[in-house]
Amino acid sequence: METLSVSASAPEKRQKAVKRTGARSGEVSVRWRLAVASRVTAALIGGYLLTALSSVCLAQFLPLARAEAVVLAMTLSFLVYLPAVLWCFVCRTAWRAWFGLLLPSAVLGAIYASARWLL
Amino acid sequence: MLLATLLCYIGFTALCLSMNRHYDDLIGGSLTLGRGRALKLLGWVALLLSLWVALASQAMGQALVQWFAALMGSAVLFVFVMSYRPRLALSLAGIGALLAPVVACIQLLA
Amino acid sequence: MKEGFRQAMAWLHTWAGLIFGWLLFAIFLTGTLSYFKNEISQWTQPELVPHQVTEVDSVNRAQRWLQENAGDAKRWFITLPDERSPALGLSWAKARGGFERKSLDALSGTPVQARESMGGEFFYRFHFQLQMPYPWGRWLASLSAMVMFVALVSGIITHKKIFKEFFTFRPRKGQRTWLDGHNAVAVLVLPFHLMITYSSLVIFMTMIMPVSILTTYGGNTQAFFDDLFPAFKTAPASTETAPLAPIAPMFEVAAEKWPGSRIGLITVNNPGKANASVTLTPSGADHIPNISGTTLMFDGVSGALKDESTMSAASLMLAGGLYGLHMGHFAGPLLRWLYFLAGIGGTAMIGTGLVIWLGKRKLKHAKAGVLPFELRLVEMLNVASMSGLMLAVVSFFWANRLLPVSFAGRSDWEVRTFFCMWGLALLHAFVRVFFREGRSAWREQLTLAASLYCALPVLDLLTAGDYLFASLKQGQMTLAALDVTALITGIFLAWGAMRFGEGGKVAFVSKLTPTDSRRKSDSGVSANSGSEPARESVRADATAQEAN
Repeated sequence: METLSVSASAPEKRQKAVKRTGARSGEVSVRWRLAVASRVTAALIGGYLLTALSSVCLAQFLPLARAEAVVLAMTLSFLVYLPAVLWCFVCRTAWRAWFGLLLPSAVLGAIYASARWLL
Repeated sequence: MLLATLLCYIGFTALCLSMNRHYDDLIGGSLTLGRGRALKLLGWVALLLSLWVALASQAMGQALVQWFAALMGSAVLFVFVMSYRPRLALSLAGIGALLAPVVACIQLLA
Repeated sequence: MKEGFRQAMAWLHTWAGLIFGWLLFAIFLTGTLSYFKNEISQWTQPELVPHQVTEVDSVNRAQRWLQENAGDAKRWFITLPDERSPALGLSWAKARGGFERKSLDALSGTPVQARESMGGEFFYRFHFQLQMPYPWGRWLASLSAMVMFVALVSGIITHKKIFKEFFTFRPRKGQRTWLDGHNAVAVLVLPFHLMITYSSLVIFMTMIMPVSILTTYGGNTQAFFDDLFPAFKTAPASTETAPLAPIAPMFEVAAEKWPGSRIGLITVNNPGKANASVTLTPSGADHIPNISGTTLMFDGVSGALKDESTMSAASLMLAGGLYGLHMGHFAGPLLRWLYFLAGIGGTAMIGTGLVIWLGKRKLKHAKAGVLPFELRLVEMLNVASMSGLMLAVVSFFWANRLLPVSFAGRSDWEVRTFFCMWGLALLHAFVRVFFREGRSAWREQLTLAASLYCALPVLDLLTAGDYLFASLKQGQMTLAALDVTALITGIFLAWGAMRFGEGGKVAFVSKLTPTDSRRKSDSGVSANSGSEPARESVRADATAQEAN
């Protein structure tokens, strides 16, 4: 469908991609632009959400003194952000990008919430 | 740190020579499989040895920082010199190989 | 599947790199300059002369001056002179709010009489605040850092033959050389790039990723910082007054507790009050990690050691270590130069990436000889962000020497000169790229920059030669080193400008299309689509000339 490789840099790659997607060469459809915008938003906001929630969980569950756990959770959090961003541009469709970020975010949120308010 | 830097440089030279294309460019002729493996081994051993030398000479933090500096510096130097003056790059490695034992002896005695 | 993954990474690398490349180039260049922040400040304030003074004498002078001039302040901060910064740095939080700074001459203990200039501080501040109001500049810089991180990792994934081509650099091969150079500076200095990018995120993590503080401390962020830096807790000033104990004797305790480490920062809480306290922090120049949580706290009235805290937890050392590695306060002269060179490597990586992006796309339009609007826009921004910034930097130094020493607001005018020059460079790039062709923009800006850099030592000799000679007589190399660095930069830029010279262009065109002279004035790129090898050579040469 809307593969990002449509505008991959090398011309021969583009032709290959165009053949696969059946789009007309040299033109970028509105649909494709919207999909890219959606992916960028997913990477920025969805990625941030997932990163923030993982740092919250880390700070909660790391067996360290409070301040140390928080510092470590913040320090490592960007290692979560990176694959989250990469995921948004690797997966097949923009919807999957959102889905792949929001699902683990929901899981992390649930884990944190249950640890905090149920236990 | 001089010793670690020399070892890094020697290591990178050996690793570079263990590749067919570079061997042909720098020395000429084709690389035999055995020699290629030996060079590769020599390269990695020299790099590991340089790390050990760095760690043995001072506190861990300083040692790691300086080793990375030596690693990156010698790699950049080697690639730059090799691209413009391939002969000089090899001679530098030769000089390094001669100097390294001397420096090691001086450090051991000191 | 695997090929699709790599292609997606290449796409991400290409576009993230392009859109943030111009800003990242500026961030990297000013950050690289910041490794010599104190040295640049010394050059911009040559009146400041380093003295041989002991720590004890310095701190006595600082205490006396602050007692006389800021006795009612809530808090004092004192930094002692060292081999990189000759002046005694004082700052204090005023009783009615606000903050003030002053530099004292370490020998006389009076405010320094030097020309006003931000010096290296300007580049340092720009590096992470981008001359924008707080906190927007820091957020933008952090976002750029994250994009840099993504671009780095996606670039590593894209680069298929990272080990096979580890030693590959093929000079004088046009676009190939640019790509080789881009890969070489990226791969050979990769540990530095990863460290500098990741640590920049860690430095601002309490600003950009604060949720875990909020959830753990329930919104009371101050409690978090008090946990980390217990000695810096603020207590309300007591109403009783009491004279402050002399600070100098506390140094003896510190020398015993921290052998081989100097004092970096002295903090005095509620000076002159009955609950005054003095906190000593070790100098960052003697430790790789930033250990501002390691402190000795003294009673401000009796002068006795009250409390001692040591920052040693592994997680704090990890974050502090990344912070310290980024700043490089610990680096001696050799390591500092290596930091500087690695920073230039990072800057060059970004610059070559931008050039490659454009070069690749220009090839497609080589036949038509006319560049579409968006490529011209990119070319304009390339020129302005690279050679334009180089011009802006050198104009800052020129302004420092040419503005009258006693001119009011001269420090602001130096900064204004910097941005005016950058703006003019953008304007010039616009006119040249859109009304002529990009090569002339590059050539003219690089030529001007080269002459300004090369002439900087001469200007320094003419306007501040006395300081230069006096410092050399004292064995101080800082001023001369900056002049020499400027000269080398100028020579390098001149070499770059020559690559855009008219002669090269004519030779190139005549070599390729001896019969077709009509197009040569168009864009400098003309191609006859003949056989495949011929086209290849056009590619190589066209980019060598054009993208250069």
